[in-house]
Amino acid sequence: MGLLAAGIGAGIVAVGAGIGIGMIGKSATESIARQPEASGDIRGAMILTAALIEGVALIGAIVCILLALGIGGG
Amino acid sequence: MLRACRRLFVTLLLFFLFVPLTHASEKAAQDSSGAPIDVVGKVVDHHELAVAGTYIPLPRIMLVEGEWYFYGSTESAVESDEFVMEEGAIAPASGSSITLDMSITSHLMYVWFGLILTVWMTIAMARKYKRGTGRETEPKGWFQNLFEIVFVFVRDDIAKTNIQDNKYQKFVPYLFTVFIGITFMNLFGLLPWGATATADITVTAVLATFTFVITQWNGSKDHWEHVFWFPGVPGWMRIILTPIEIIGLFTKPFALAVRLFANMLSGKIMIICILGLIFIFADLFGSIAGVGMSLFAVPLTVALYVLKAFVGILQAYIFTLLSAVFIGMAAEEHAHEEGVEAHA
Repeated sequence: MGLLAAGIGAGIVAVGAGIGIGMIGKSATESIARQPEASGDIRGAMILTAALIEGVALIGAIVCILLALGIGGG
Repeated sequence: MLRACRRLFVTLLLFFLFVPLTHASEKAAQDSSGAPIDVVGKVVDHHELAVAGTYIPLPRIMLVEGEWYFYGSTESAVESDEFVMEEGAIAPASGSSITLDMSITSHLMYVWFGLILTVWMTIAMARKYKRGTGRETEPKGWFQNLFEIVFVFVRDDIAKTNIQDNKYQKFVPYLFTVFIGITFMNLFGLLPWGATATADITVTAVLATFTFVITQWNGSKDHWEHVFWFPGVPGWMRIILTPIEIIGLFTKPFALAVRLFANMLSGKIMIICILGLIFIFADLFGSIAGVGMSLFAVPLTVALYVLKAFVGILQAYIFTLLSAVFIGMAAEEHAHEEGVEAHA
């Protein structure tokens, strides 16, 4: 059961992070295309936001690893 | 002559790449009982330092019921009859449990290596600047140039842009140390026999605690006002907002710790899993399939390796950047005349 939960959980985590980072990438490339001279600032903001989303996704991934390895009473 | 040497070198490299792999996959096909790669064992902390195939035992320091025990290694602890091995872990022979385990472990050693390298490098460079090289003249040598690029990057792009006004100067030493230290710790994991110290939640938790303490210590009046008495909302909203803000203080460093830890750990596990495919194929379809799989898995691992080197530097950057953002948010003093203020 733990393995099943870990697999499903990892999938959902990947979907969530993919949507989030995809939207960041979309708007970042759009804004760089509109205003190429601001690309440095936009890239910084993009990395920062992507890191915040990634943090949440990785917390989910860690929970999945713990489930799969059966650590924590699983 | 040079070309012949190079050809010989490449041949030897390929030879040493495939001989152990064929050997290992044959061995894995022969005894399918035990797992050929211990995934968890590769990423957890050890009480010995692996160098070139040999293991250097590290000291054990333990507190058991108010009494300290010092041993040179786990073996000597067991030999002294005070401790016994229980399920792969050490336990006191008297049946009680270890109150505090302060043993030196491999991850701690790699934290020290990273920090010693950082301190040594920084002090050597500071001496150089004190003598005038770089201040009065141009920086000399590739190392000082590289150092200056990294330092100016941390100071201008990380500290200055995120921390208000002239307050940033106070935090540049911390941010620079964290950046260089984490980069070293991340990259040490890519060395043969090396361990990634940052793939350990305790190490990243300590780093995040530093950021947390510095953030709160330098919090301005406005920072604490935002936490305990959020301005510009109806009074009853503060019953909801104050607990949320207090939790928010702790989730930021928590996310910081988990992000670095999970990134480093997942990179490690990914490489082990892809190398493990060789053994799985050898196990299922015989050693020929294992060799065939190794032709695919080894280049993929090399690509992942390069990605890991990139991610190691990127994560150090992200950790430093977020530390700077959190410190900047706390240290910021708002202009109250404007009425409605922006809240991050």
